[in-house]
Amino acid sequence: MPPTTALFSCPPTPLQVLLCAALVPGSGQLRLGRVWRGVLIFVTAALLLFIVNWGLVNFEIGQITIGSLTTSWLWVPLILFWVWNAWDAYAAASDRSGNTLLGVVCAAVILYITAWNVTDIKLERLVTRFSDFRKVAVDIVNPDLFSTTVQGETRPCSWGCILAAARAGRLADVTPSENFGDIIGRIREVKASGLIVGLGLAQPGQPVRMLVPGKLFETIALGLLATIFSIIVAVPLSFFAAHNIMMRVRGGAAIYYVMRTILNAVRAVDTVIWALLVIVWVGLGNMAGIIALTIHSVAALGKLYSEEIEHIDPGPVEAITATGANLFQVLRYAVVPQIIPPFLAYSLLRWDINMRAATVVGFVAGGGIGFFVVETIRLGAYPQYAAALWGIAVVIILVDAISARWRERILRDQTQAEITAPRPWYASLRVWSYLLLFLALFVGSWTLLKLDARALLEPAPTFGRLVRDFVTIDLSPDVLEIVTKEILVTIFQALLATTFGSLLAIPFSFLAAKNLTGRSLLSRWIYYAARGLFNVLRSIEALLYVAIFVFWVGIGPFAGVLGLAVTAFALLGKLFSEAIENIDPGPIEAVTATGANRLQVIRYGILPQIIPPFISYAIYQWDISIRMATIIGFAGGGGIGLRLNNYFGMLQYHKAGTVVLFIVVVVALMDFASAKLRERLV
Amino acid sequence: MLKVQHLVKIYPNGTQALRDVSFEVADGEFLAIIGLSGSGKSTLLRCINRLIEPTAGKILWDDVDITAASGAEMRRIRRQIGMIFQQFNLVKRSSVMTNVLSGRLGYVGTVASLVGHFSREDRARALANLAQVGLEDKAYVRADALSGGQQQRVGIARALMQNPRLILADEPVASLDPVLAHSILKYLEQLNRERGITVLCSLHFLDLVHRYATRAIALKDGQVVFSGLPHEIDDAQFKAIYGQEAERVSIV
Repeated sequence: MPPTTALFSCPPTPLQVLLCAALVPGSGQLRLGRVWRGVLIFVTAALLLFIVNWGLVNFEIGQITIGSLTTSWLWVPLILFWVWNAWDAYAAASDRSGNTLLGVVCAAVILYITAWNVTDIKLERLVTRFSDFRKVAVDIVNPDLFSTTVQGETRPCSWGCILAAARAGRLADVTPSENFGDIIGRIREVKASGLIVGLGLAQPGQPVRMLVPGKLFETIALGLLATIFSIIVAVPLSFFAAHNIMMRVRGGAAIYYVMRTILNAVRAVDTVIWALLVIVWVGLGNMAGIIALTIHSVAALGKLYSEEIEHIDPGPVEAITATGANLFQVLRYAVVPQIIPPFLAYSLLRWDINMRAATVVGFVAGGGIGFFVVETIRLGAYPQYAAALWGIAVVIILVDAISARWRERILRDQTQAEITAPRPWYASLRVWSYLLLFLALFVGSWTLLKLDARALLEPAPTFGRLVRDFVTIDLSPDVLEIVTKEILVTIFQALLATTFGSLLAIPFSFLAAKNLTGRSLLSRWIYYAARGLFNVLRSIEALLYVAIFVFWVGIGPFAGVLGLAVTAFALLGKLFSEAIENIDPGPIEAVTATGANRLQVIRYGILPQIIPPFISYAIYQWDISIRMATIIGFAGGGGIGLRLNNYFGMLQYHKAGTVVLFIVVVVALMDFASAKLRERLV
Repeated sequence: MLKVQHLVKIYPNGTQALRDVSFEVADGEFLAIIGLSGSGKSTLLRCINRLIEPTAGKILWDDVDITAASGAEMRRIRRQIGMIFQQFNLVKRSSVMTNVLSGRLGYVGTVASLVGHFSREDRARALANLAQVGLEDKAYVRADALSGGQQQRVGIARALMQNPRLILADEPVASLDPVLAHSILKYLEQLNRERGITVLCSLHFLDLVHRYATRAIALKDGQVVFSGLPHEIDDAQFKAIYGQEAERVSIV
């Protein structure tokens, strides 16, 4: 029996419940023992109340004047929501089903109208300023990658020029441009390095022609090193955040909760924001980028790893404990063998994510391609910017494919029928070659990034102040008001971006679903085109899109919304199409067998199967978008990131601390709420 | 001699799994524990090697109080008590050999075992125990490549690595075919007769109890409702243990 009903001896009458709900929204449902619904309604009502008032005071949203009274017409949908809640409670008490959709619509009206106003949506700019976009678009299609020399003058040479040169048979005149060298690499005469001399390939001091890798390779190295470091740190940490392990240790419960809280808080702060903090410690450069990436990645991996540890089969743990093994032996023989495949899979997934983050961490940290991109944006050098985008897209699509393929292989986890005693690991050629490859990559990346571990030990003098100010953050009312405003704008940006993204993704996802693709050549090409579109768009971080939209619709939250919407579109498109591919063909067959036409099959055979996963993915995406929206301010996309950057720039660390605290709380809350909501839906 | 005295187990959610259970097992006995699902059989067996902490009561083994043993003492006691599980509880991704060797963990040093080192004698012993259960040719196969019956035999070989004086078997044949059930219980019977290992085995089927056990106790709602020789369980006893609706079924 639920505790709420146990409080009262007799069942409530419908009228009682109606009165309850009319006084305090949600209380009627609570009184009926529907705890979850009641709490949800109460929280929604409280939030709407706050938002309508906040929107009226700060942005004059929906302001109307009736006689001497100036107020907002958004109170109307709120009252309707209130009425709906009372009616819902009444209907439930008299055993009739209420209509949830009405309540959702009332809430949505308030949320979207507020969102539309606070994020400064000006759709007309997409058209009126289209000529600006055309300029950028032309540059994006024609990236600065090659050049040709005409009469002693170096000129950029794009596709048309290359084609013409090829026709004239003078392709040899087309050479990689300076920008190509910056991004990808160039061959240059450099003084022979110690390694080359040691190998006897050159004399000391003798110049040799070498490939000098560009920013793109720096970025790859950043992502790789950060992944390696974060795996090394996260693996041991994850055991302290695993419930089933810590319960075996005295005082483990306390450690578990502390670890989980720390991991969630650290994870809530985006890599780019971590970079802001880290540069105060180690200064601008690749080191800062690696540390920022590693910190966020440790927290994300730590959570995933520890959940994997919690999901192991408890049987072997019991069996090994029963043999008299101690805790370490239980971990080594019962836990570790079970977690190796999922740990490897998650590490590969994280490598993929870290590579994406590495492309933008330089915005703040000052390393890799991110830093290059910031420079090109500052100079308005869009052909150069475009070349970087294409480079990033190629690298990330490759990484994505490799990581996905590899993960699939690991999780299939086939048994090998080995009959003879295996050789010990140190006698296996494969182990040694992997180890060697790993070492070469590690040393190569380290040298390429010119890292110096000593920087860690010499924090800048302001770092002490940063730590102190973050402990004594500024909670004065005016700062709180500003930060609340910015964080709400950020949340609304994410809401609109997710909505735009999903509305656009729905039709495209049908085109990209393999099981709905017809047999004709055309439909197969459409399938590949849609898939390709999702993959290409997905490979670029929202921050980089924002830089384009800023040029198109101007600096501000609207550009941020558009940038986020593109990413949301690409991610949701992929997830939606996979959801469609995963539907059960049985019901479709059954509906078809009744003689239904194609539309009826979609309505009764397909839609009921895909609506829950679609909603679930959209909520998940909103959660992700909020996290991304906290940083789009760094590229002129508005929201809380801009405010944070300003506070850091002005060395007002105590105010920056407030912002970070708000971000942690909001992102962690949204993470929790979205997980709970999705749990209820699926 | 194993003495269980006034054992009580109440789970944190309030479930009373054991209410004042007392019985004795002499060395060399094959004691069957019968009862419906949820009657407390698994809890009872796990209290004996303290995989589950009893709420009250005492368990004396050769006059050593198991319930009072400290962490390190408990591990020394556990290593002399082999355990066999319904779901076999092998580490599926590890080789059969590693699974069997893990039965030795209570005897070997922590550091050596963490790097996966086992002595030559331990390895030879593992192979010998695998031969005993007829699986010497499967030593380097991954455990999940084996059938259920084979996995349970690996479980027995693992328990044998402990040189146990007592074996706790929790529904060892409930996940197996009837034919395999007999083969597994025959191994346990052999160990009981030839090596004098005391066996405590929970079983579902009464005819298995008749066939293998030297004595039986029955649990119902966490209480001992019968204690005696297997053939003493008549129809009235049977109804008392399993309820009025129950009917005798037999297994091949």
